[in-house]
Amino acid sequence: MMLKSCTREGEMKSLLASGAWPHACPPDLRAHVEACRSCGDLVLVTGAFQNARAEAVGRAPAGSPGALWWRAQLRRRNAAVERLCKPILGAQIFALAINITLALAFVVSQARHGIHWLTWLERIPQARTLHLEALWSAAQPDAGWSLYLLIPALATLALVGGVVVYLATEKQ
Amino acid sequence: MPWESALQIVYTGAAAEPARVAGFPLDSDAFAGFYERSARPLWAYLARVSGDTALADDLMQESFVRFLCASQPASLAAEGEVACRRYLFRIATNLMRDHWRRPVSASLEDIPEEFFAAATDSAQADSQAILGPALAVLRPRDRQLLWLAHAEGYTHKEIAEITGLASASIRLLLFRARRKVASLLREQSKPQQNATVRRHS
Repeated sequence: MMLKSCTREGEMKSLLASGAWPHACPPDLRAHVEACRSCGDLVLVTGAFQNARAEAVGRAPAGSPGALWWRAQLRRRNAAVERLCKPILGAQIFALAINITLALAFVVSQARHGIHWLTWLERIPQARTLHLEALWSAAQPDAGWSLYLLIPALATLALVGGVVVYLATEKQ
Repeated sequence: MPWESALQIVYTGAAAEPARVAGFPLDSDAFAGFYERSARPLWAYLARVSGDTALADDLMQESFVRFLCASQPASLAAEGEVACRRYLFRIATNLMRDHWRRPVSASLEDIPEEFFAAATDSAQADSQAILGPALAVLRPRDRQLLWLAHAEGYTHKEIAEITGLASASIRLLLFRARRKVASLLREQSKPQQNATVRRHS
Protein backbone atom coordinates (compact mmCIF):
# COMPACT_ATOMS: atom_id res chain seq x y z
CA MET A 1 0.00 0.00 0.00
CA MET A 2 1.42 3.38 -1.00
CA LEU A 3 1.50 6.08 1.65
CA LYS A 4 0.05 9.03 -0.19
CA SER A 5 -1.09 11.69 2.17
CA CYS A 6 -2.86 14.74 0.86
CA THR A 7 -1.31 18.20 1.20
CA ARG A 8 -4.60 19.56 2.53
CA GLU A 9 -4.90 16.94 5.25
CA GLY A 10 -3.58 19.28 7.94
CA GLU A 11 -6.18 21.86 6.98
CA MET A 12 -8.89 19.20 7.15
CA LYS A 13 -7.69 17.96 10.54
CA SER A 14 -7.84 21.41 12.10
CA LEU A 15 -11.28 21.96 10.60
CA LEU A 16 -12.52 18.67 12.04
CA ALA A 17 -10.92 19.35 15.43
CA SER A 18 -12.54 22.77 15.69
CA GLY A 19 -15.94 21.37 14.72
CA ALA A 20 -16.14 23.63 11.68
CA TRP A 21 -16.77 20.70 9.34
CA PRO A 22 -19.05 20.65 7.37
CA HIS A 23 -20.96 23.88 7.95
CA ALA A 24 -18.10 26.36 8.17
CA CYS A 25 -16.01 24.67 5.51
CA PRO A 26 -14.94 26.68 2.44
CA PRO A 27 -16.60 25.38 -0.76
CA ASP A 28 -13.30 24.60 -2.46
CA LEU A 29 -12.23 22.37 0.42
CA ARG A 30 -15.58 20.63 0.35
CA ALA A 31 -15.16 19.96 -3.34
CA HIS A 32 -11.65 18.69 -2.62
CA VAL A 33 -12.91 16.24 0.00
CA GLU A 34 -15.33 14.75 -2.50
CA ALA A 35 -12.53 14.18 -4.98
CA CYS A 36 -9.66 13.19 -2.63
CA ARG A 37 -9.77 9.71 -1.17
CA SER A 38 -7.36 10.46 1.67
CA CYS A 39 -9.36 13.45 2.90
CA GLY A 40 -12.62 11.56 2.34
CA ASP A 41 -11.31 8.74 4.56
CA LEU A 42 -10.24 11.27 7.16
CA VAL A 43 -13.67 12.88 7.29
CA LEU A 44 -15.51 9.57 7.37
CA VAL A 45 -13.34 7.96 10.04
CA THR A 46 -13.09 11.05 12.25
CA GLY A 47 -16.84 11.54 12.11
CA ALA A 48 -17.50 7.92 13.07
CA PHE A 49 -14.99 7.97 15.91
CA GLN A 50 -16.16 11.29 17.30
CA ASN A 51 -19.76 10.06 17.34
CA ALA A 52 -18.65 6.87 19.05
CA ARG A 53 -16.67 8.87 21.59
CA ALA A 54 -19.59 11.18 22.37
CA GLU A 55 -21.87 8.19 22.86
CA ALA A 56 -19.37 6.27 25.00
CA VAL A 57 -18.50 9.29 27.17
CA GLY A 58 -22.20 9.74 27.91
CA ARG A 59 -22.47 6.10 28.91
CA ALA A 60 -19.38 6.08 31.15
CA PRO A 61 -20.08 5.24 34.80
CA ALA A 62 -19.43 7.93 37.40
CA GLY A 63 -16.86 6.49 39.78
CA SER A 64 -15.64 7.81 43.09
CA PRO A 65 -12.28 9.61 43.04
CA GLY A 66 -12.14 9.41 46.85
CA ALA A 67 -12.16 5.63 46.80
CA LEU A 68 -9.39 5.58 44.22
CA TRP A 69 -7.36 8.07 46.25
CA TRP A 70 -7.75 5.83 49.29
CA ARG A 71 -6.78 2.71 47.32
CA ALA A 72 -3.69 4.44 45.96
CA GLN A 73 -2.75 5.57 49.44
CA LEU A 74 -3.11 2.03 50.78
CA ARG A 75 -1.11 0.53 47.94
CA ARG A 76 1.63 3.09 48.35
CA ARG A 77 1.83 2.41 52.07
CA ASN A 78 1.99 -1.36 51.51
CA ALA A 79 4.75 -0.88 48.96
CA ALA A 80 6.69 1.27 51.43
CA VAL A 81 6.30 -1.35 54.17
CA GLU A 82 7.44 -4.06 51.79
CA ARG A 83 10.46 -2.01 50.79
CA LEU A 84 11.40 -1.56 54.44
CA CYS A 85 10.85 -5.20 55.31
CA LYS A 86 13.18 -6.54 52.65
CA PRO A 87 16.43 -5.58 54.44
CA ILE A 88 14.92 -6.65 57.79
CA LEU A 89 14.20 -10.09 56.41
CA GLY A 90 17.73 -10.29 55.05
CA ALA A 91 19.12 -9.37 58.45
CA GLN A 92 16.93 -11.99 60.13
CA ILE A 93 18.15 -14.70 57.79
CA PHE A 94 21.75 -13.60 58.33
CA ALA A 95 21.28 -13.67 62.12
CA LEU A 96 19.75 -17.13 61.93
CA ALA A 97 22.66 -18.42 59.88
CA ILE A 98 25.17 -16.93 62.34
CA ASN A 99 23.31 -18.49 65.29
CA ILE A 100 23.25 -21.91 63.72
CA THR A 101 26.96 -21.72 62.85
CA LEU A 102 27.86 -20.59 66.37
CA ALA A 103 25.75 -23.31 67.94
CA LEU A 104 27.35 -26.00 65.81
CA ALA A 105 30.83 -24.67 66.50
CA PHE A 106 30.10 -24.58 70.22
CA VAL A 107 28.75 -28.14 70.31
CA VAL A 108 31.69 -29.45 68.32
CA SER A 109 34.19 -27.68 70.57
CA GLN A 110 32.47 -29.00 73.69
CA ALA A 111 32.44 -32.52 72.32
CA ARG A 112 36.18 -32.28 71.66
CA HIS A 113 36.81 -31.12 75.23
CA GLY A 114 35.47 -34.32 76.63
CA ILE A 115 31.89 -33.99 77.76
CA HIS A 116 30.32 -37.40 77.58
CA TRP A 117 27.16 -36.47 75.74
CA LEU A 118 26.27 -40.03 74.91
CA THR A 119 26.55 -41.14 78.52
CA TRP A 120 24.33 -38.29 79.64
CA LEU A 121 21.77 -39.06 76.95
CA GLU A 122 21.73 -42.76 77.90
CA ARG A 123 21.01 -41.89 81.54
CA ILE A 124 18.02 -39.72 80.74
CA PRO A 125 15.47 -42.53 80.22
CA GLN A 126 16.62 -44.27 83.39
CA ALA A 127 16.31 -41.17 85.52
CA ARG A 128 12.85 -40.56 87.03
CA THR A 129 13.29 -36.86 86.69
CA LEU A 130 15.53 -34.95 84.35
CA HIS A 131 18.12 -33.28 86.53
CA LEU A 132 21.05 -31.29 85.38
CA GLU A 133 23.13 -33.30 87.90
CA ALA A 134 22.99 -36.12 85.38
CA LEU A 135 24.85 -33.95 82.96
CA TRP A 136 27.09 -32.71 85.71
CA SER A 137 28.11 -36.23 86.69
CA ALA A 138 28.59 -37.20 83.06
CA ALA A 139 31.22 -34.57 82.64
CA GLN A 140 34.80 -35.34 83.41
CA PRO A 141 36.14 -33.68 86.54
CA ASP A 142 38.68 -31.63 84.58
CA ALA A 143 36.07 -30.33 82.17
CA GLY A 144 33.55 -29.26 84.82
CA TRP A 145 34.10 -25.55 84.31
CA SER A 146 32.85 -25.81 80.78
CA LEU A 147 29.39 -26.85 81.97
CA TYR A 148 28.93 -23.46 83.57
CA LEU A 149 29.34 -22.04 80.12
CA LEU A 150 27.60 -24.75 78.17
CA ILE A 151 24.20 -24.69 79.81
CA PRO A 152 23.54 -20.94 79.75
CA ALA A 153 25.01 -20.70 76.27
CA LEU A 154 22.73 -23.44 74.98
CA ALA A 155 19.74 -21.84 76.65
CA THR A 156 20.60 -18.44 75.17
CA LEU A 157 21.13 -19.93 71.75
CA ALA A 158 17.82 -21.75 71.91
CA LEU A 159 16.06 -18.59 73.02
CA VAL A 160 17.67 -16.31 70.43
CA GLY A 161 17.31 -18.92 67.69
CA GLY A 162 13.62 -19.32 68.49
CA VAL A 163 13.05 -15.57 68.36
CA VAL A 164 14.97 -15.25 65.10
CA VAL A 165 13.08 -18.12 63.47
CA TYR A 166 9.80 -16.64 64.69
CA LEU A 167 10.65 -13.21 63.25
CA ALA A 168 11.86 -14.71 60.01
CA THR A 169 8.73 -16.79 59.51
CA GLU A 170 6.32 -14.14 60.77
CA LYS A 171 6.52 -12.29 57.45
CA GLN A 172 5.49 -15.31 55.45
CA MET B 1 16.60 7.80 53.44
CA PRO B 2 17.20 7.62 57.22
CA TRP B 3 15.57 4.69 58.97
CA GLU B 4 13.44 6.81 61.32
CA SER B 5 12.06 9.01 58.56
CA ALA B 6 11.28 5.96 56.43
CA LEU B 7 9.29 4.44 59.27
CA GLN B 8 7.59 7.75 59.86
CA ILE B 9 6.46 7.94 56.25
CA VAL B 10 5.05 4.45 56.47
CA TYR B 11 3.31 4.64 59.81
CA THR B 12 2.34 8.25 60.35
CA GLY B 13 0.55 8.80 57.09
CA ALA B 14 2.99 10.85 55.06
CA ALA B 15 2.19 8.41 52.31
CA ALA B 16 -1.39 9.63 52.50
CA GLU B 17 -0.49 12.20 49.89
CA PRO B 18 1.00 10.03 47.21
CA ALA B 19 1.35 12.51 44.41
CA ARG B 20 2.70 15.25 46.64
CA VAL B 21 5.40 12.98 48.01
CA ALA B 22 6.57 12.41 44.46
CA GLY B 23 6.96 16.15 43.97
CA PHE B 24 3.76 16.53 42.00
CA PRO B 25 1.30 19.26 42.97
CA LEU B 26 -1.82 17.10 43.10
CA ASP B 27 -3.82 16.84 46.32
CA SER B 28 -7.06 14.94 46.79
CA ASP B 29 -9.25 17.86 45.64
CA ALA B 30 -7.15 18.49 42.56
CA PHE B 31 -7.26 14.79 41.84
CA ALA B 32 -11.06 14.79 42.12
CA GLY B 33 -11.21 17.54 39.49
CA PHE B 34 -8.76 15.74 37.26
CA TYR B 35 -10.77 12.55 37.66
CA GLU B 36 -14.01 14.27 36.69
CA ARG B 37 -12.45 15.59 33.52
CA SER B 38 -10.49 12.49 32.52
CA ALA B 39 -12.42 9.44 33.69
CA ARG B 40 -15.12 9.47 31.02
CA PRO B 41 -12.83 9.86 28.00
CA LEU B 42 -10.56 7.20 29.44
CA TRP B 43 -13.47 4.82 29.98
CA ALA B 44 -14.71 5.47 26.45
CA TYR B 45 -11.25 4.65 25.08
CA LEU B 46 -10.97 1.46 27.11
CA ALA B 47 -14.53 0.32 26.43
CA ARG B 48 -14.40 0.91 22.69
CA VAL B 49 -10.92 -0.47 22.12
CA SER B 50 -11.37 -3.53 24.34
CA GLY B 51 -15.05 -4.02 23.47
CA ASP B 52 -15.75 -4.99 27.07
CA THR B 53 -17.36 -2.50 29.45
CA ALA B 54 -16.64 -4.53 32.59
CA LEU B 55 -12.98 -4.72 31.66
CA ALA B 56 -13.02 -0.98 30.94
CA ASP B 57 -14.33 -0.35 34.48
CA ASP B 58 -11.55 -2.41 36.03
CA LEU B 59 -8.78 -1.01 33.87
CA MET B 60 -9.91 2.56 34.41
CA GLN B 61 -9.76 2.19 38.20
CA GLU B 62 -6.40 0.45 38.02
CA SER B 63 -5.06 3.16 35.71
CA PHE B 64 -5.97 5.92 38.16
CA VAL B 65 -4.51 4.03 41.11
CA ARG B 66 -1.26 3.42 39.24
CA PHE B 67 -1.22 7.03 38.15
CA LEU B 68 -1.39 8.13 41.78
CA CYS B 69 1.18 5.60 42.94
CA ALA B 70 3.67 6.37 40.20
CA SER B 71 6.46 8.81 40.82
CA GLN B 72 5.72 11.08 37.90
CA PRO B 73 8.63 12.67 36.11
CA ALA B 74 9.24 16.33 36.80
CA SER B 75 8.47 17.27 33.21
CA LEU B 76 4.90 16.08 33.70
CA ALA B 77 4.32 18.59 36.49
CA ALA B 78 5.52 21.40 34.27
CA GLU B 79 3.30 20.41 31.36
CA GLY B 80 0.18 20.24 33.50
CA GLU B 81 -3.08 18.39 33.03
CA VAL B 82 -2.64 17.62 29.34
CA ALA B 83 0.54 15.71 30.09
CA CYS B 84 -1.14 14.01 33.06
CA ARG B 85 -3.96 12.83 30.86
CA ARG B 86 -1.52 11.55 28.27
CA TYR B 87 0.33 9.70 31.01
CA LEU B 88 -2.94 8.22 32.21
CA PHE B 89 -3.76 7.00 28.71
CA ARG B 90 -0.31 5.48 28.52
CA ILE B 91 -0.89 3.53 31.73
CA ALA B 92 -4.28 2.37 30.44
CA THR B 93 -2.78 1.33 27.12
CA ASN B 94 -0.12 -0.74 28.86
CA LEU B 95 -2.71 -2.35 31.12
CA MET B 96 -4.85 -3.23 28.13
CA ARG B 97 -1.83 -4.71 26.35
CA ASP B 98 -0.99 -6.78 29.42
CA HIS B 99 -4.56 -7.99 29.56
CA TRP B 100 -4.44 -9.16 25.94
CA ARG B 101 -1.12 -10.89 26.44
CA ARG B 102 -2.43 -12.82 29.42
CA PRO B 103 -3.95 -16.19 28.49
CA VAL B 104 -7.61 -16.20 29.45
CA SER B 105 -10.05 -19.01 29.93
CA ALA B 106 -13.38 -17.56 28.93
CA SER B 107 -16.38 -19.12 30.53
CA LEU B 108 -20.00 -18.07 30.25
CA GLU B 109 -19.89 -16.58 33.76
CA ASP B 110 -17.02 -14.30 32.82
CA ILE B 111 -18.88 -12.56 30.04
CA PRO B 112 -20.50 -9.31 31.23
CA GLU B 113 -24.27 -9.19 31.31
CA GLU B 114 -24.42 -6.14 29.05
CA PHE B 115 -23.00 -8.31 26.34
CA PHE B 116 -26.25 -10.25 26.21
CA ALA B 117 -28.54 -7.31 26.89
CA ALA B 118 -30.24 -5.63 23.97
CA ALA B 119 -29.15 -2.07 23.33
CA THR B 120 -32.00 0.18 24.34
CA ASP B 121 -30.36 3.54 23.83
CA SER B 122 -30.75 4.52 20.20
CA ALA B 123 -27.55 6.60 20.09
CA GLN B 124 -25.61 3.69 21.51
CA ALA B 125 -27.25 1.30 19.08
CA ASP B 126 -26.49 3.57 16.11
CA SER B 127 -22.90 4.11 17.15
CA GLN B 128 -22.38 0.41 17.78
CA ALA B 129 -24.02 -0.48 14.48
CA ILE B 130 -21.85 1.94 12.53
CA LEU B 131 -18.44 1.54 14.10
CA GLY B 132 -18.79 -1.74 16.02
CA PRO B 133 -18.43 -4.22 13.13
CA ALA B 134 -15.56 -2.25 11.59
CA LEU B 135 -13.70 -2.07 14.90
CA ALA B 136 -14.25 -5.77 15.50
CA VAL B 137 -12.37 -6.58 12.30
CA LEU B 138 -9.37 -4.41 13.18
CA ARG B 139 -6.41 -5.49 15.26
CA PRO B 140 -6.34 -4.12 18.83
CA ARG B 141 -3.33 -1.94 18.05
CA ASP B 142 -5.11 -0.38 15.07
CA ARG B 143 -8.16 0.29 17.23
CA GLN B 144 -5.95 2.03 19.77
CA LEU B 145 -4.21 4.15 17.16
CA LEU B 146 -7.43 5.16 15.45
CA TRP B 147 -9.16 6.01 18.70
CA LEU B 148 -6.27 8.10 19.98
CA ALA B 149 -5.93 9.95 16.68
CA HIS B 150 -9.53 10.46 15.66
CA ALA B 151 -11.55 10.32 18.88
CA GLU B 152 -9.05 11.94 21.25
CA GLY B 153 -7.28 14.06 18.66
CA TYR B 154 -3.73 13.25 19.72
CA THR B 155 -0.82 14.03 17.41
CA HIS B 156 1.48 11.33 16.07
CA LYS B 157 4.14 12.24 18.63
CA GLU B 158 1.67 12.00 21.50
CA ILE B 159 0.36 8.66 20.23
CA ALA B 160 3.93 7.40 20.09
CA GLU B 161 4.40 8.43 23.72
CA ILE B 162 1.18 6.73 24.78
CA THR B 163 1.59 3.48 22.88
CA GLY B 164 5.36 3.17 23.10
CA LEU B 165 5.66 2.77 19.33
CA ALA B 166 8.20 4.65 17.26
CA SER B 167 6.95 8.05 16.21
CA ALA B 168 7.99 7.44 12.61
CA SER B 169 5.91 4.29 12.28
CA ILE B 170 2.74 5.85 13.69
CA ARG B 171 2.03 7.72 10.48
CA LEU B 172 2.17 4.60 8.33
CA LEU B 173 0.27 2.41 10.77
CA LEU B 174 -2.40 5.03 11.17
CA PHE B 175 -2.70 5.55 7.45
CA ARG B 176 -3.21 1.84 6.84
CA ALA B 177 -5.67 1.46 9.68
CA ARG B 178 -7.64 4.49 8.57
CA ARG B 179 -7.85 3.27 4.99
CA LYS B 180 -9.00 -0.13 6.19
CA VAL B 181 -11.68 1.16 8.52
CA ALA B 182 -12.89 3.66 5.90
CA SER B 183 -13.34 0.84 3.37
CA LEU B 184 -15.21 -1.19 5.98
CA LEU B 185 -17.45 1.74 6.83
CA ARG B 186 -18.18 2.38 3.13
CA GLU B 187 -18.93 -1.29 2.50
CA GLN B 188 -21.15 -1.34 5.52
CA SER B 189 -23.09 1.73 4.44
CA LYS B 190 -23.77 0.33 0.93
CA PRO B 191 -26.39 -2.29 1.94
CA GLN B 192 -28.03 0.28 4.23
CA GLN B 193 -28.24 2.79 1.37
CA ASN B 194 -29.64 0.11 -0.96
CA ALA B 195 -32.24 -0.85 1.61
CA THR B 196 -33.25 2.81 2.01
CA VAL B 197 -33.59 3.23 -1.76
CA ARG B 198 -35.70 0.05 -1.99
CA ARG B 199 -37.91 1.25 0.86
CA HIS B 200 -38.50 4.60 -0.87
CA SER B 201 -39.19 3.04 -4.30
